Formats: sequence, structure tokens, C-alpha cells
Amino acid sequence: MASNALVAVYLVPTLIGLFIVSPWGGLLTNSLKDRYPSLNSVRGQLLAGLQLISLAGFAVSAQTLWISSKISEGGSFCSSSSTFSCDDLLGNSKLNVDPFFGLSWGLIGMAVFALLLFIVFVLQQEHNHPMAERMISMGLLSTGVGVLIIGLLVSYELKEGKLCLYCTTAHIANLAALVGFFRLKRLYENNSEWNS
Amino acid sequence: MIDDENAGAMGSALIKVMSLFFIGIMIIAFTANPVSVGTGEGQRAPDIDGKFYNGTGWSDMEFGSYFNTSWEEGDINGQWVVIEFMDTDCPACQRAAEDYGSYANYFSVSNSEWNGPHVNFLASATELSIQGHNSDRQEIQDFRADNEHNFPYIDDLDQDNMGEWGIPGTPTYFLIQPDGIIAWSSPEHSGEKVSDAIFRLTPRSA
Repeated sequence: MASNALVAVYLVPTLIGLFIVSPWGGLLTNSLKDRYPSLNSVRGQLLAGLQLISLAGFAVSAQTLWISSKISEGGSFCSSSSTFSCDDLLGNSKLNVDPFFGLSWGLIGMAVFALLLFIVFVLQQEHNHPMAERMISMGLLSTGVGVLIIGLLVSYELKEGKLCLYCTTAHIANLAALVGFFRLKRLYENNSEWNS
Repeated sequence: MIDDENAGAMGSALIKVMSLFFIGIMIIAFTANPVSVGTGEGQRAPDIDGKFYNGTGWSDMEFGSYFNTSWEEGDINGQWVVIEFMDTDCPACQRAAEDYGSYANYFSVSNSEWNGPHVNFLASATELSIQGHNSDRQEIQDFRADNEHNFPYIDDLDQDNMGEWGIPGTPTYFLIQPDGIIAWSSPEHSGEKVSDAIFRLTPRSA
């Protein structure tokens, strides 16, 4: 049970990040604008929200990779007879790797969220970088493909009748990042708002 | 001369992200010691799903309950596992049934002649996709009774476990250590009987 409660460490920042990248994000960031001037612009808000989401997504993906590794040692982390048993999914050698290359889903998650973080860091430093549009599209594309992968992984959960809360948090982070990059793309297309 | 004025932004972002990625990987590497799952010697045995028959009824198989991951090599108290992948219609399995039953009786703590650890015997009964091989649970029960076996028979008629274990044919045997690691498999030792492998690999009391 404690292991399932630990997921809040990742879920809370993800949900805060999702709120920041939503159209109502200003409600949360208004009080922080004096301390963090970058939050004065919509672009700054979106990038801050995306940074929080990507960091949480990276961390929870690393945690799932660690859980898979511990289970393969013979240990258990969140084994339970209830529906909330991530060990049954993360410890399943057929389901915890991608079907083409056999790479752990946790490792793939870490790589994708690291890519998103890279895009966010570049745009925070140079929002008019010559590759800015391409990088935003790359973020949108990778999180869009992530939705298809989420569909596959949820089908595994339904088949096994188990729910992995750590995986679900990573899925929420991907969806939140998709929202963030979608709004960032729209903002970029409106040149005056992007440069405000 | 052409300068990339924006290279600094990409470079510093790349350093930050790469640092974070490798710190994550190093933490995992230092705190976990993964053992790959598979059917080769030294690998962790894959799970076995399904129902098993123990002489009274069919129950859910809890394969993991046979293992103790804190077992240390040489500890005679740990219980070993031998699993046979078989088909009740396979002639070679029928011929091997008598020997397999006698091994199960011999490598047991209740046998005073055996000074080694208790070995749990299991049989995973499948239905091979060969003409004339039609099996069902009643046939598995009859096969078990006819051969006077007293160990569990697992229903793998759908070949799920056989597929996951990559079984090339029947009968195929695996000897598994008390910590769930495969110690011996018949595909890797075609000239050695499972009983000889038990004698060779298990610890003995003085």
C-alpha cells in the first residue's frame, strides 16, 4: 500500500504541471510572477509547466525501470492481490518491454521525457531558435505517438485485470505534455504572442 | 566564417539532459541487480500460469510460492523444483512417466535414503498441435492416476506456458534452484537425465 502511496510524489507535480499548461494556468502562476519573471508571458508559463511535467515523467519512468529491475532480482515492490498491483505488469517479461526491440518501457519513457526536457530547456534559453518550430513539432509528434503506446499498454492492463499506478502516472504525464506542446504550437503560430 | 550563434542554447540543454539521464541510469544500476528472465541456465524461470490438479481438484497455480529469493547457494533447506513439459498423448512422455514418478518419490525429505534437499516435482501438461493429440483435463487426471503420481499437474492445454518457456518438444525438463534461477535444462544437456542433474547440482548433508 505504501508503495502505491509513493506514486503521489510523481503524480502531484504532473497534475500541477497539467494545470499550469491548461488555459487556467495563470490562476496558479499569478502569485509566482514576482519571484519568477519568466511566468509573465504565456510562453514562459507553458514552458514552466512542460518542464515540471517532463521532470515528473522522467522520474516516474526511471522508477518503473527500477521496479522492473528489482522484480527480476526476485524482489517485489508493489505486489498485491488487489487490482493495484504494478508488479504483475512491470514484472511480466512479455509485457514490460516493447514488442519490436525488447527495450524496457521504463527506459523508453526516460528517453522520451529527456527529449521533451531538452526541447523545453532550449526554448527557455532561445525561444526564437532557428529550430524552435521543428522542436515544438517534434515534442507534439512524440507525445502524439505516446498516446498510441498508452492505448497498447492500457490494453495490457485490461487483459491482465491489473492497474499499475506508476505506469498510469507516466501516461498522464505524456497526455499533459501533449496538451502543453499543442498549446505551445498554437502560440508559436501567433508571432506576436510568442514574442511577448 | 560561419558561426552558429544558437549552439550555446542547444549545448547547455544537451549537457543538462544527458547529465540527468545518466544520473538516473547510474542510480538504477547501483541499487538494482537485474537478472534476465528466460529458460537458459542462470536465468530466472518465467512464470507458470493456469490451474493445477493435485488429486482433489483444480486450483490456481502460484508458481512464485515455490521460491525463496533470499536462498543462498549451498543451503540444504531450500526446496528445489523440477518441472516437466509433457503431453499425455506423447509416447516419449508416457515412457518417461514411470521414471519421473520414481524420481519424485526418491528426491523427497520423506525418503531417508536421500540426504539432499526436498525437490518439488511438477508436470505441465499441454496438447501438442499434432494430429491425434487431443487432450482435456480428464485425460490429465487419468494420466496422473494411472502413473500413480502424487505431484501437481498444470493445465497448459492452450500451450501458453509452453510458448512462454520456448519449449522445443516434449518431454522437456528444467531443474530450478530454490531462488527461482534455472540450474539445468534438458535442451542444454541432452545426454544427461534430470535425476543425474539433481545428484550433481544439489547440496547434500554430511
